Amino acid sequence: MDAACYARNFDAINNAEQLVLADKTVFVAGCGGLGGYVVEYLGRLGVGRLVVADPDLFEVSNLNRQLLSSHMNLGKPKVLAAKQRVQAINPLVRVDIHQVKITNANALSLISDTDVVVDALDNIPSRLVLQEACKEAGMPLVHGAIAGWCGQVCVVMPGQDLLDKIYPDAQVWQGDEAQSGSLSFSAGLVAALQAAEVVKLLLGKGAVRPTLVLIDLLRNEIIDIAI
Amino acid sequence: MITVNTKEHPWHKGMTVRTVIQEKGYTFTHLVVRVNGSPLHESLYDSFEIHDGDEVLVLHLMAGG
Repeated sequence: MDAACYARNFDAINNAEQLVLADKTVFVAGCGGLGGYVVEYLGRLGVGRLVVADPDLFEVSNLNRQLLSSHMNLGKPKVLAAKQRVQAINPLVRVDIHQVKITNANALSLISDTDVVVDALDNIPSRLVLQEACKEAGMPLVHGAIAGWCGQVCVVMPGQDLLDKIYPDAQVWQGDEAQSGSLSFSAGLVAALQAAEVVKLLLGKGAVRPTLVLIDLLRNEIIDIAI
Repeated sequence: MITVNTKEHPWHKGMTVRTVIQEKGYTFTHLVVRVNGSPLHESLYDSFEIHDGDEVLVLHLMAGG
């Protein structure tokens, strides 16, 4: 391993831990506002393999917040941009891409052979499908969501079903982001918190977040709630 | 006194879930409310009375990615 690119990870992440990360795989569901940043953070950190799934192509409306979007790749698959971005930054990281929507039929297969799953999706039904797959596979799920100036993050350990409490009506497709939009800094902040939880899970280091953190950047509130 | 999202908030007679939402300034269209751990449907926000000492949880429903 060419450790030079990880020099500034040390000693927050030590050499032995860096080697552990290089041997891990993270599944990132969704490659938009949250997923783009999550892929960026984990790729730069040196997680050995990223598996990224998103069915969408970049649109003009993505440019306000989605790190991987640009005028150069409008109409192109988001997952392809993720792979190209990570390859350009850190070729030590392998990126496997799936241009598919998460469904009951494919979720379990997609997350197989990975160590941690990141929920960076943009709708409630798919998030619940992903939680169910993680429960069945016995894998931790790092959830993040945003709307306007707000965001939330929690770690769902297998069987906790925390998303059932956050999203009690599985028939509802979207939250308030349909009205309030999604801002770049909300996406970057929530994705950063998700990436930190992923690394703690992968390394067995520090305290994995036991609560739901709710962030309201307009009201200057960051609160942890046990749900 | 009640707690709303872990913070203390003054209680008064006749307080409903709707009152709490208005007093706290929760502006999102879609909310998830729990009182003492039990989920509460939106249709009950105007009528469900909050008692002194209750724990109220109000989550903005957000799912953007």
